Amino acid sequence: MSAGLVSVLFVAVALVSVGAFVATWKRDLTAALAGLPLMFGGAGVAFAGAARFSAAGDPKIFGQEVAALLAVAALALLALGVGIAGRGTSR
Amino acid sequence: MDSLHAIGFYVSAAVSLGGGLLVAFLPGRGGRGLALALSGLGIAGLYASLSADFAGLVALVCYAGCAVLIAGPRYRIVDSPIGMPWRQAGAVAAAGLFALLAYAAFRGDFVHATYKGGEFGIAGIGRLLFVHDALATEAVGALVMVALVGAAAAWRVRDRAR
Repeated sequence: MSAGLVSVLFVAVALVSVGAFVATWKRDLTAALAGLPLMFGGAGVAFAGAARFSAAGDPKIFGQEVAALLAVAALALLALGVGIAGRGTSR
Repeated sequence: MDSLHAIGFYVSAAVSLGGGLLVAFLPGRGGRGLALALSGLGIAGLYASLSADFAGLVALVCYAGCAVLIAGPRYRIVDSPIGMPWRQAGAVAAAGLFALLAYAAFRGDFVHATYKGGEFGIAGIGRLLFVHDALATEAVGALVMVALVGAAAAWRVRDRAR
């Protein structure tokens, strides 16, 4: 059993699509924000996979750095969205 | 990638995608938070199986934070003015996006070329974005603009409805 670049990109694409589905499907906009970390995670997986399978030399850390940055950005955006939504009605 | 890493990769992929689907379909915010944490665990596992351990650790912490935000007491409901047909159209568009990107992933491979721009060459990235992939860059810009205009329009409709 093995996994290559195409497998990684398939998983990344599926994560982005599931995130887009969550963002469009949820009627509650704050719940729809939960799609953002999924989409950012998919992009991060694509970056990490491209870094992992790039042909040249040692493992490139650029893709890993971008993946970590995307995770932090997802958390920041979600916190911003939940904070802005604080004016809504609690249920 | 050896068999052990490949098994970890596929198991993590299943966990992350299953968690994502649970985020979409679970009704309560607590369940959605747990599902998002599960998805984050899967994404961290994906990073670890791709030899990106530090990114996996960061992702684990950040997705746990996201889960706490979604499930926490500061969560507030903001109803969307968008009706069911448009949401269904969005779901179909997400499926179309998956089909399109899956085809691109299926055709994906590394380009064998000589690159002299260095580890992180701004000039090289500029050439890539504005010369080689100019159309894709324009498409991303147009997509961002449409998203912002749509968000502003939805906000105005919501304000008028009050």
